[in-house]
Amino acid sequence: MSKRDYAEGFWNPYVAGVALGLVLLLTFYLMGTGLGASGAVVRTSAVLAHAAVPGAVEQNDYYKSFYKPGAKNPLINWMVFQVAGVFLGGLVAVVTARRFRPGVGRGPTASVGLRLALALIGGVVAGVGTRFGMGCTSGQALSGGATMVVGSWVFMMAVFATAFLAAYFVRREWS
Amino acid sequence: MTGPLYLADAFSQGTSLWIAVGIGFLFGFVLERAGFGDARNLTDIFYFRDMRVLRVMFTALSTAMVGLVVLSWVGLFDYSVLLEYSLLKTYLWPQLVGGVLFGLGFVIGGYCPGTSAVGAVSGKLDAVIFLVGMIIGIWVFAAGFSIWGAFSTSSALGRLTLWQLFGTNKEVMAALIVVMALAAFALARLGEKWAPYGK
Repeated sequence: MSKRDYAEGFWNPYVAGVALGLVLLLTFYLMGTGLGASGAVVRTSAVLAHAAVPGAVEQNDYYKSFYKPGAKNPLINWMVFQVAGVFLGGLVAVVTARRFRPGVGRGPTASVGLRLALALIGGVVAGVGTRFGMGCTSGQALSGGATMVVGSWVFMMAVFATAFLAAYFVRREWS
Repeated sequence: MTGPLYLADAFSQGTSLWIAVGIGFLFGFVLERAGFGDARNLTDIFYFRDMRVLRVMFTALSTAMVGLVVLSWVGLFDYSVLLEYSLLKTYLWPQLVGGVLFGLGFVIGGYCPGTSAVGAVSGKLDAVIFLVGMIIGIWVFAAGFSIWGAFSTSSALGRLTLWQLFGTNKEVMAALIVVMALAAFALARLGEKWAPYGK
């Protein structure tokens, strides 16, 4: 299986799943809410935009609640701190497994330029998607899914159905 | 003590931020160990080469789901607090549209938000670019909020669970979902044998 060497050396997926589930369970037990990620990206995007064009962001109907009078810095937030922890925990896991390798993950016949262009486009589309979906794989699919929320299951099914269908059209990126 | 602890004022907001870092640390660590720091491990599911994402996701979801039901049975978790205060709210149509867009972004971009953070600290440039793309995408959403803002909060169904929708209870619903997960694991094996795009 040297063809897919990038898939080697990880935990058994069921073991990883139980571990992830226990982290999620602990989060619900402590906080009453689940895990998340996209919320931190939203707040980061607000702070970056505010640094460039403060007036426009304070007037923007989507961002303005972060900057109403008396509001704290948008980055002083549970989700932002939790995602800071994700970076930290991911880094420790990568370093202790000696897996830190600068590079670009792509299919064997895809060029770096193609892959990076599609990473940007995919990021933009996924970013918009998180706002209509009000979350991502962490907050909606995993956390909402585990608490059997209707909207989260709708979101999750739409994500995977779409991705399985769309995969055909970007197969050169990954195959 | 009966959870959720924070909603019972067991600790302060300041403490909750430290807990957030700790929880996030565990989350990031497990995501990396699951192999989710590399876009190829995340997208191989869509080509039936490796259904790892499905196995990890459905196992994690089932573990936490069953865990919450069991904790509420033994009196360690107050499920009603969840239902009244902290469960995610459903917005049917925008969440369907959001899921379609997110699915496109996932397979094109190769990551989702949490995994792109782990990919970035693994040294993956594509993960960093994906993160930049997401920030741009959210700017786009905010810039056009006057156009689609009303839609994005439409068809609001409040805090609605599957078992309420189907007129059953959380135990039966959780059991059905576990059975579905087991069926999905069996189908995943068949999918990997099928491997329509080659192995």
